[in-house]
Amino acid sequence: MSESDRPVVLIVEDEPDVAETYRLWLRDDYEVRMAHDGDEGLELLDESVDVVLLDRMMPGLSGDEVLERIRERDLECRVAMVTAVEPDFDILEMGFDAYLSKPIRSQQLHDTVENLLDRSEYDALLQEYYSLVEKRATLEATKSNAELAESDEYDALKGKIGELKDELSGSLGGIEDDEDFIATLRGLGNGDGN
Amino acid sequence: METGTDLSETMYDLSTVLDFDALESVRPGTSLLIAGPAMSGKEAIAFDVLKEGARGGEGAVVVTTNDRAASVVDEFRTDVPELGESQLGVVDCRGDGVDADESGAFVHHVSSPGDLTGIGIGITKALEGLHKGGRDRGRLALVSLSTMLTYTDKKTVFKLCHILSSRLDSAGYVGVFTIDSGAHDDQTLQVIKQAFDGLVEIRENEGAREARVMGLSAEPSDWQDL
Repeated sequence: MSESDRPVVLIVEDEPDVAETYRLWLRDDYEVRMAHDGDEGLELLDESVDVVLLDRMMPGLSGDEVLERIRERDLECRVAMVTAVEPDFDILEMGFDAYLSKPIRSQQLHDTVENLLDRSEYDALLQEYYSLVEKRATLEATKSNAELAESDEYDALKGKIGELKDELSGSLGGIEDDEDFIATLRGLGNGDGN
Repeated sequence: METGTDLSETMYDLSTVLDFDALESVRPGTSLLIAGPAMSGKEAIAFDVLKEGARGGEGAVVVTTNDRAASVVDEFRTDVPELGESQLGVVDCRGDGVDADESGAFVHHVSSPGDLTGIGIGITKALEGLHKGGRDRGRLALVSLSTMLTYTDKKTVFKLCHILSSRLDSAGYVGVFTIDSGAHDDQTLQVIKQAFDGLVEIRENEGAREARVMGLSAEPSDWQDL
């Protein structure tokens, strides 16, 4: 674990001034790491990193290649690609979770990082929700209705499932826009290798 | 409940296809699972729900793992003569899709029923196309989850259904999904059911088809002949 509980943001950006600007914007809320090219980015990347801000146009390893390596390593981090041009729909098919068009404003950067962290939280909640649903299904498949009616465990489970369901659709707001929707599904697709 | 707002305008009436009280006023964002044995007409019901909506001017999005996009488009054109240019979207997940005569509908081909990103992109494009065409309400059908379960595990399908419901909720759509109840074990069915707001269960009883609705009202409905 990192020394603080703050989310970790890794900035991969070859222009020092730009990287420093991002760092100054983000350092109050997050633990920030900086890499000056793709290779260094991959070195600094470990399980503690929550969000990667990845410049697309870099000398050496390009952002696209770095992204591919990240996905190969099966890390849970979210990647925001930083591009000079407004991406088209097709670009959503690439494996990133968000895109930012340069130049970037402070508020926009904060919003993007926050949104990606929310999405990770959504995934974690969905994961927990699923495991409870699975447990409930097992109970329902193996116990009689009379047994279920008397079971405190079953009762508590139902309550917890209800709470989580509300939390999933409530506080996080669900899957509001297209980009979130596709990125969340992509996360699922990546995870079904078993 | 809220007072002073007229909910009847925004609710969906699915009872013209399936005559149940619980289906008379279905909240936008609701997703329903239609479960029944093979050849019990689940797909036809799901498609009828969309066609009814289309006749009333709503958008229709079909995600299909079995039928060719072209045949879905043909079927809708035949059964809904008034179908407009930007009223139907089809996401064909059979993997061997070739764009044929599908003009006027938004058609997206996906490499396989396991390509969830591709399916998400297809649905997104369809919803966006219909929205731009002025269709602010609509219905989506995914036929069938059973095929998806052969490409991926129940955990992934459960999550897919949850995420999709969430997206339909923000689009104000109603979703209908089909599953072959005879093709999966009880545990799998129990798990998948819980991703939905309501369940339409179909069974065969002495040669007759019967259905009941659960989850949308406090008590399950009685079994009714279809």
